[in-house]
Amino acid sequence: MTRLRIKLALFNLSSKVAFTVLFLLFMPWLIERINLIQVDTDLIQKREKVIDLISKTGIEPFEVSDSSNIFGSYNILKEEFVSLERIDLQENANYIDVTKRIIEGDEIEYRVLHYSFLVDGKMYLLEVGKSLESILHTKRNIKIVMLVFLVFIIIITFLTDLQYTRVLLKPLDKITKKLRRISDPSTFDKIPVKTSTSDFYKLDTAMSEMMTHIDELFRKEKEITVNISHELLTPVSVLRSKLENLLMQQNLPDEISVKIEESLKTLHRLQSLINSLLLIARIESRQYARNESVSIKEVIKEIAEELEVIAEDKGVRIKVESEIDYMFERANRSLIFSMFYNVVNNAVKNTSAEGTVIISTGYVKNIPTLIISDNGRGMTKEEMSTLFSRFKTRLDTGSNNTGIGLAIAKSIADFHAISISVTSEINQGTIFSFTFPEFS
Amino acid sequence: MNVLIVEDEKSLAAEIASFLSKEGFLCEMAYTGMDASEKIAVNLYDFVLLDLGLPDYEGLDLIADAREAGNDSAFIIITARGEVEDKVKGLDLGADDYLAKPFALVELLSRIQAVARRKFNILNQNVTAGDFTLELQSRKILCKGQEVIITRKEYDLLQYLILNRNKVLTRNQLYEHIWGNILDDQYDSNFIDVHIKNLRKKLNEYSSAPWLETVRGIGYRVSLE
Repeated sequence: MTRLRIKLALFNLSSKVAFTVLFLLFMPWLIERINLIQVDTDLIQKREKVIDLISKTGIEPFEVSDSSNIFGSYNILKEEFVSLERIDLQENANYIDVTKRIIEGDEIEYRVLHYSFLVDGKMYLLEVGKSLESILHTKRNIKIVMLVFLVFIIIITFLTDLQYTRVLLKPLDKITKKLRRISDPSTFDKIPVKTSTSDFYKLDTAMSEMMTHIDELFRKEKEITVNISHELLTPVSVLRSKLENLLMQQNLPDEISVKIEESLKTLHRLQSLINSLLLIARIESRQYARNESVSIKEVIKEIAEELEVIAEDKGVRIKVESEIDYMFERANRSLIFSMFYNVVNNAVKNTSAEGTVIISTGYVKNIPTLIISDNGRGMTKEEMSTLFSRFKTRLDTGSNNTGIGLAIAKSIADFHAISISVTSEINQGTIFSFTFPEFS
Repeated sequence: MNVLIVEDEKSLAAEIASFLSKEGFLCEMAYTGMDASEKIAVNLYDFVLLDLGLPDYEGLDLIADAREAGNDSAFIIITARGEVEDKVKGLDLGADDYLAKPFALVELLSRIQAVARRKFNILNQNVTAGDFTLELQSRKILCKGQEVIITRKEYDLLQYLILNRNKVLTRNQLYEHIWGNILDDQYDSNFIDVHIKNLRKKLNEYSSAPWLETVRGIGYRVSLE
């Protein structure tokens, strides 16, 4: 994953490099064109001058009587030349081209203007040339200067981009940090992040409003759960006392007693349901204190002893393999106990005779971890997906349990920032891993 | 012993009173905090069963007031509020026990008896069941003078049954008494059956214990003369 500001800077850099490369590719051609136009204008001006001169002085001063019949004038550095030649009447020329001339042994490239004109019934060809040598030099020099300059510009702008985006995106960074820090909407820092960018301001405000809203909904939900549970517990209490008093009456016919006990059982189911919901609501509304230091080894030992009797009766073995004794700080012991108890109990329930439930503690990648594994009947993917949901019990267990035990375990784990992961394979078994948070 | 039941739910107060009367307690009822406050000030009760959710009074204040006035009654909080801090606060104020609603009547009785043993140093006599003797002080069960080795949970179970002798206790009542602190969905479990089975096995190694009866469809009972 790359950070946004790096991405922005990299994009800017690559677009600049692309433009520069394109520019450098086109530059020589461009320079050449500009130069040629300049040279051609020059040549045309020179031609005008020569024509002016001829019209003033006549052609005679330029007439050469030697055999070659050509008048030529070069400046000393062979930068430019002018030549005049008599040609046939039929020949006609008016163009500019590039020709090579060998002058005193040097081959020099010239831009040459060819122009034919009639004077006194005779046809002359005027040629005005300018050396391209200097243009080539200029071209190379400009190229080098441009290259150095552009590379310099690219580096400077890349660095400033990086710096600027860092400052620019700072509020976004802060918002992200704020979000990562919280474990619950109620702990969201509502102090607005300082920014002059309206987008970030809007994001921060929207986030803050959303958190307040979610928090409010949570609080209301918890309040309702707690209130409803309380309202329900009182009538359950009355009913229970009445039924218990009834059951204690002497000389009750057996079938009546059994019916009363069945009613009590149903009532108890209702009671434990309400209590479970209350427990989850209380955990979620952070009513429990986290101020104990809990020895995981000790808790596990106690749970194993507690459940050994029932496991033994089933023919299931509970094995404790604790390599380490991890002291879990800032915990609530009775909740931690309930969490592991529910999971181990669940494992024992779902393991048949001759099976084994192993509880092991140790470090996985340096993080204290507790693993509860069984070689029971395992779960399908479907069952796994609803494992921690309230009231979703497995369809084929045939038991009456509400399936809230694991939901309780999950809320206790969340409360303690313990992460639970589950892997399961049908007829192979299930593995619950508890990863403790690090307190650094 | 006399008990004041402070409970605004009249039918519940009536049921508790009816049960405790049969157990030999003298019961009075108060449905409001005002009423309770007056009664506590005027009469001397051995026990006050106090519901915290009174309409006109903060229940915990009643304990504080009573203690301030030098009242030595044993207070047992019974509440459906279930706030985590209530228990701590109540016990800090000098309540003797705390029982969350809904509770089993036999559980209430056993809490009252436990407080009586602790506070008033009564009901401490050993109980005999067949060849066995239950020593409440040392929490041991002896057979003809020889100690029977059982686990703590088995002892708790046995003591609960023996102290509530001749009453049928349902599996839920037994489970709640012993694992009351563990909240899960074990209401249909055979935990109690397994423990009773083991307990019988251990007792039978010393002497037969026909007094520990299974009541079909309901639960268990210790039948003693």
